[in-house]
Amino acid sequence: MHIDTGSWHRYMALPAFLLFSLFFLFPLMQGAVLSFTDWDGFSTPSFIGFQNFVDFLHDARALQDVRTTVLFALGSAPLLNLCGLALALLLNKKFRGKQVVRALLYLPAVISPMIMGSIWYLLLQPKRGLFALLLQRVGVSGQGNWMLSSNLALVIIVLVNVWQYAGMTMVIYLAGLQAIPLEHYEAADIEGASSSQTFRHIVFPQLIPSLKINIITNIIGSLSVFEAILALTDGGPGYDTESLSIYILRMCYGNKTGYSTAVALMLFLIILIPVFISLRFFNKVEER
Amino acid sequence: MKPNTTIVADARKTRLSPRNRLDWYLLAIVVLISCVAIIPFYLLVLLALKSPIGGLAAIRLMPDFHFVNFITAWQRSALGKAMFNSLVMTAGGVGLLVFLSSMAGYTIARFPGKLNRTIFTILLLCMMIPGIINTVPLYTLLIRLKGINTYWAMICVMAVNAMPFAIFLYSSFIRAMPVSLEESAIIDGCSWFEAFWRITFPLIGPVTSSVVILQGLGMWNNYAQAVFFLQDKAHRNIPLSISLFFQQYGADWPLMAAAAFLGLLPAVAAFLVFQRYFVEGITAGALKG
Repeated sequence: MHIDTGSWHRYMALPAFLLFSLFFLFPLMQGAVLSFTDWDGFSTPSFIGFQNFVDFLHDARALQDVRTTVLFALGSAPLLNLCGLALALLLNKKFRGKQVVRALLYLPAVISPMIMGSIWYLLLQPKRGLFALLLQRVGVSGQGNWMLSSNLALVIIVLVNVWQYAGMTMVIYLAGLQAIPLEHYEAADIEGASSSQTFRHIVFPQLIPSLKINIITNIIGSLSVFEAILALTDGGPGYDTESLSIYILRMCYGNKTGYSTAVALMLFLIILIPVFISLRFFNKVEER
Repeated sequence: MKPNTTIVADARKTRLSPRNRLDWYLLAIVVLISCVAIIPFYLLVLLALKSPIGGLAAIRLMPDFHFVNFITAWQRSALGKAMFNSLVMTAGGVGLLVFLSSMAGYTIARFPGKLNRTIFTILLLCMMIPGIINTVPLYTLLIRLKGINTYWAMICVMAVNAMPFAIFLYSSFIRAMPVSLEESAIIDGCSWFEAFWRITFPLIGPVTSSVVILQGLGMWNNYAQAVFFLQDKAHRNIPLSISLFFQQYGADWPLMAAAAFLGLLPAVAAFLVFQRYFVEGITAGALKG
């Protein structure tokens, strides 16, 4: 069958792609070019080769930020997946009020991370904050100021992030669990499989697609973390809990435009490497 | 006959029950988890309703019901204007996103020529790049285009950041649909373009609602772009207004709590009303992606 209706319907992706090129690809490539210059945002940029990247390796603040970002991701991504999976397994059981619990657990994820972070900042104020008061009532007098200890501050940022988004990973795992046909459980039951065996051989393999989505989105999300840190510690004490994305954005107003695009490129690499590794890993697992 | 069927039903139930049974320890865990989820919100309300009498040390588990805090916070934070701005930019961003991405996803799914395949590959690669990476060059671009402090620029930027995911979702959904309906419309004299909007688009409602919910929420909650591209008071969105309010009233905790509560209210209300669509949208989006 061939009916001539012109051929411009083949180009229906172009409006989207043109807009995408203008506001995404063009800045992306411009950033890549600028990262090899000393541009200050005003005068004519001059080409300085890899100098910005060399500077990056000697920039104590940037390296500290890389450490914070990676530590945050190493804490946040696995914990989010563990909690999400545990919650999904729990909510996969039948009990009354399940819908309500699911909604409750998902609720924090619909709120802006900036607002949620601000709320936790308020509740977690040392000494007179509501959690401190609550702890005092039950006899624990933690008078230490967590905001002054960089390690504790980072742990708290991770926990707040997990608290906010565990429901999100849960919903995705739950969808994966509910896609498993009931017959598979029955078969495992008849074969006399223990519950841990059922999980390993029946449930887990079928959760691979949900696992893949959750892990990849969590890697990207946690390595570009921004709002939660800004609201909770503003990168402090000092620059101890500053993430790489915050550093990049703080240079936006300064005169180090060229350098900041180089740092953005480094962040890009830091995200791309684990994403590619996990994509390859999951593709191999799915082939089997 | 009757007892017999009960036995059969019972047998079926018991066979399935080891993983469905509600035990007491399970109930305890569920209650505990719900408490962990809800207590911060309760404390927020408690703080937001705190009357100035006695200071924070006088806080009780029963709220003070000092509702004036909400009125004061509303007036001082200019949240009404911020909500209007958020609404305009989210609606604009989602509208633009759905319009462009559905068309693009359709063409990519139906006419996988060289051009469309190239576009698709580029989009897939960009799906892994968070928008933050582009901020500095984008900022200089928007200064040149006079897009700082405008709705249109923010709408374009947010729509573009959501585009790879939306196009991916649309194209994989349309690819799984039979082409025969569109073809019969074309025999009746439609163009492919008309066939898409009249026949296919109404059928891909689930994807559209998934895109609207997931990406709309992201736009509503946007801070990382708003903080750079919306600097004047007249264009601030909700997250930006809340964070600025916190910087301004850093000592008045009940007022800050009241403002934060008002700020999260629209998203929470939308979630509670459209809960079913949220869960469906997220799962559809996730499992297709």
